[in-house]
Amino acid sequence: MIEFSHVSKVYRNVKALDDVSFTVEAGSITGFVGPNGAGKSTALRILVGLARPTTGTATVLGRPYTELGCPGLQVGTLLDAGAQHPGRTGREVLTLGAMMLGLPKSRVDEILDLVGLSGGESRRAVGGYSLGMRQRLGVGHALLGRPRVLVLDEPANGLDPQGIQWMRGLLRDLADLGSTVLLSTHLLHEVEQVADHIVMIGRGRVLARGTVGELGRGRSLEQTFLELTADADRSAA
Amino acid sequence: MTDTHLPVTDITTTDLRRTPFHRLLCVEARKLVDTRCGSIVASILLVLVLASIVSRGVVFGPDLHTLVGTAGIGYGTLLPVLGILSVTGEWVHRTALTTYALEPHRWRVPAARCLLSLIVAVAASLFALLVAVPVTGVVANVRNVPATWEITPFMLAGWTGTNVLLVVAGLALGMLLLNAPAAIVIWLSAPVLWSVVKRLGAGGEVAAEWLDLNSTTSPLAAGDMTGGDAARLAVSTIFWIVVPLTVGALRVIRKDVN
Repeated sequence: MIEFSHVSKVYRNVKALDDVSFTVEAGSITGFVGPNGAGKSTALRILVGLARPTTGTATVLGRPYTELGCPGLQVGTLLDAGAQHPGRTGREVLTLGAMMLGLPKSRVDEILDLVGLSGGESRRAVGGYSLGMRQRLGVGHALLGRPRVLVLDEPANGLDPQGIQWMRGLLRDLADLGSTVLLSTHLLHEVEQVADHIVMIGRGRVLARGTVGELGRGRSLEQTFLELTADADRSAA
Repeated sequence: MTDTHLPVTDITTTDLRRTPFHRLLCVEARKLVDTRCGSIVASILLVLVLASIVSRGVVFGPDLHTLVGTAGIGYGTLLPVLGILSVTGEWVHRTALTTYALEPHRWRVPAARCLLSLIVAVAASLFALLVAVPVTGVVANVRNVPATWEITPFMLAGWTGTNVLLVVAGLALGMLLLNAPAAIVIWLSAPVLWSVVKRLGAGGEVAAEWLDLNSTTSPLAAGDMTGGDAARLAVSTIFWIVVPLTVGALRVIRKDVN
């Protein structure tokens, strides 16, 4: 469903990604975890064609994202909830997305309902939204085209506990119905509760991957994570 | 949990081909005016055109050609600014992430914007004509003087073409710099700069004569182009439009979106 194959990305002389390979199967949620600056966002942007890998390939549904025709109907993306024009209303952001994808206006109301931004909030400018509201709007935007694959960068950032619980339920339902979800996060407790598989990344390299149980080995995911990233830092130094 | 997001798109029955170009065009048109800033610039433009045509009509008398041309003063300054804002906003607010995730064939977005600015410039020119005609009539009636309706289709086409060139030049500058303040400052200070260049001896005078888009387009706007005027217009168009548009488009297409 999603496949990274030996993806490397070099910026001038900094190696942001170093030979990253992993796959995400249909009907599962994969948590892409790593410290800030580990290369998570770079990898996701390469996946959806917004950045070019220096070497290697990334595919979604068996093809490069840029060859998917109208990709928004198959792959939903949230790459940065903060990246919104502050002068546009939430409803307008979704209306533009629905127009691009050729969806009826009614889809906008459905989505606003789904993400809990109905009524007055949807008519306010995004500039006045809290980060949690922007995340809800961003997730709603990703879901507009009823995609089979979801790529979400830090979707839980800024959500309150109710929001996090809502997001968890939503992603679980989508995966149970056969969708593929790849989400990046540094909130380890959260990802432990929602993800089936984990890919850990540090300094641009895949440090570990497996199910939550395999990686935890009886300890918390956090302990494994801290150990592995400390090792990566040491070997890099 | 509602099931409004379900089922997923049925790929066997849904048209998954590229987003049709007319859809991109509609989305870009909507983006021009759906933010506070965009709608303010657009309404200022409308009010300015109305006010300047009416007041010029009152002061100058009922001459259709002059009144239509009056609107061009506002258009030459503000329409390019609207063009600049439409291309740079995306990188300032980073909505490029969304735009190019939904349209990975990136060249289509600037292409839609170019076509859109052309449409907007033509529509704005027609709007000026629509305002100027009744104003000319009313002023002539009120003052009881004969109205001058003389305006050739050639003049009108040349003036509309000038508006199109100026808007596309703004767009090109915006795409080249991807920075609204810099592009707007350069655009607005260009006339001053050229008048300085003109005074820098013979070389400066030649440079201004061939490269200052405002002066090379004035024969076009007046509808009396000579062969030399056409050559000067072509050179300044290459300098202000073809080169920055090409470089800017290549940059937008190749750039990593962050």
